[in-house]
Amino acid sequence: MTFAYRLAALALVTGLAAPAIASADGKSLFNDNCSACHQVTGKGVKGAFPALAGSPFVQGDPKIVVATVLNGRAGMPAFKDDLSDADLSAILTYVRSSWGNKAPGVSPGDVVKARAAAKAAAKARGLQAH
Amino acid sequence: MSGLDAVTAGGVLTRRRFFESLAAVGGMSLVLSGMEALGFSQASATELPPELTGGAKNTKVVILGAGLAGMTAAYELSKAGYQVQVLEARSFAGGRCQTARKGFKHTDLIGNTQTCEFDEGHYINHGPWRIPYHHRSTLHYTKLFGVPLESFVNDNDASYVYFEKGAGPLAGKPVRKGEIAADVRGYTAELVAKAASQGQLDAPLSGVDREKFIAYVVNEGRLSKDLAYKGTEGRGFSIHPGAGVDPGPGKELPPFAFKDVLDSNAWRVLSSVTGYEQQRTMLQPIGGMDQIAKGFEKQVGSMIRYGAVVEKIKQSPTGVTVSYKGADGKPAEVTADYCLCTIPLSVLKQIDVDASAPFKAAMEGVSYAPVNKIGLQMKTRFWEEKHHIYGGHVYTDMAINSITLPSYGWQGQKGVLLGYYMFGGEAARISAKNPADRAAYAVAAGQKVFPEYAENFENAFSFSWHLAEHNLGGWAEWGEAGRKESYPVLCQPDGRLYLAGEHLSYLGGWQAGAIESAWQQIARIHARVQQA
Repeated sequence: MTFAYRLAALALVTGLAAPAIASADGKSLFNDNCSACHQVTGKGVKGAFPALAGSPFVQGDPKIVVATVLNGRAGMPAFKDDLSDADLSAILTYVRSSWGNKAPGVSPGDVVKARAAAKAAAKARGLQAH
Repeated sequence: MSGLDAVTAGGVLTRRRFFESLAAVGGMSLVLSGMEALGFSQASATELPPELTGGAKNTKVVILGAGLAGMTAAYELSKAGYQVQVLEARSFAGGRCQTARKGFKHTDLIGNTQTCEFDEGHYINHGPWRIPYHHRSTLHYTKLFGVPLESFVNDNDASYVYFEKGAGPLAGKPVRKGEIAADVRGYTAELVAKAASQGQLDAPLSGVDREKFIAYVVNEGRLSKDLAYKGTEGRGFSIHPGAGVDPGPGKELPPFAFKDVLDSNAWRVLSSVTGYEQQRTMLQPIGGMDQIAKGFEKQVGSMIRYGAVVEKIKQSPTGVTVSYKGADGKPAEVTADYCLCTIPLSVLKQIDVDASAPFKAAMEGVSYAPVNKIGLQMKTRFWEEKHHIYGGHVYTDMAINSITLPSYGWQGQKGVLLGYYMFGGEAARISAKNPADRAAYAVAAGQKVFPEYAENFENAFSFSWHLAEHNLGGWAEWGEAGRKESYPVLCQPDGRLYLAGEHLSYLGGWQAGAIESAWQQIARIHARVQQA
């Protein structure tokens, strides 16, 4: 159980589950949402956050990559409540084609499918955690 | 309709109906056993530490991490005669149980260094900050170690709700929670009372006393005799009642229109009862949460080796050897019969651990929450002086989530309030900013609620748990699959390696989870030692 739904189900009105209107700029979305840990260089922080630049995992099966960002894994948080399908596809397309990475992009449809497969619909977030 | 037939009325078996139906069929004891089976027992299940009787047989235990789990284990095991050595990566004990006050220094993983500049006597609990009354394990130690507590105001009718993404005249305006609560409940009660009195609810009300039901609804909504909601004194006054004839009876604030309240979305902060983890009475140690850490440290400090960063955990059939880098930068080792490791899984998975493949795979099955907090020192307590709010939370639909007004130092000169408490993606986003920009962001948001905010701001201390070395996250988050497949594996020992911490409890992110997880694991170690 995550804190998001273990709490009183007090939904914020940010429209978490709403589909994005347009595919935003992948680079600025990455810098906003991901760079605190993975760094704008994609090099990560040694011993803490893995490098995305040159990573075979990042450039591998898009299904697994999408599922990892949606659900979290191995310390990485789940972003299913925070990123729309369009935003996530823009971010992953950017990550898979930057810093020397050369993998095909990820479409919003891929994210929709991965969400359905993982039953990772965005949930309303509670107002309080611990 | 009664009993189990009623449970599935409408085809929906809610949790509460399920429990109510058990009460109808089997009495209250059946309800309680049912609740316990489902994990809804009345308090954190374990109230007292395990009794470790029968001797320690010269057994040595190395404990990794001097947070609350590690220090609980060190305290109880050493009391039972075990030889205990604790390795702690930081230069101080407590783990996440930290308090920032003047001089507290923190450098995050992206290189931002901050030294807290709050005035003497002021602080922010950037880690755990409140103790629910039913966390009896935490309260066991605060009592035992003489850590004085005070009330943490976790709900305040006078505090504001600020929802700017709603619609109508209340959107984007700070409104007192009590006003919203009175109005939305009053109008709802009016609708229900009128419908019931006109016989429109006879079918669903069949078998209950209609008059009593109406009496309850009238009382709940503070309705007039004609079953109308016209406001109520409890929601506040524009002129407060007082002496003589002026102000005399004062002047009550009129209610908002029902539509305006609904359109505002501010009702989202209301529910019949607070979630179990957020209930009053909520408590905090006087002077900062780290008083608990210091209480433990007084007992077990001599067993702790500080600045010891674990690099490798190696097992043999007879013992465990932990290699670490000491405070002097030199490699060192500790060998013991058993190892209790309380290092967060986010960090542990990057350490060379000699464990079975399924155990190591299970460590990948958890994610850790990005969590941000910021303390803002204000030169006056304008929220008390101008707005009459003593502690509690200002809920918003801004990215800051909420502002929390301090429960310490009421009516003092200055105060440190919590300027944001974010988790998840919002936390990741804001933590990418430098500390000055984080503070500016928090102050700009607070200014929308309190006109005095920016002019009173003096200095800030921000903390991002996902950017904190040795933590890499605020707390463990088990998804459904992880809780089912990985969690049970890690609750069991792997050879002579036992894990403990909030991450191995259903009280995740709470100090009680850390303490009770430690209790459970040391009881297991002790049982094994007794059998050996």
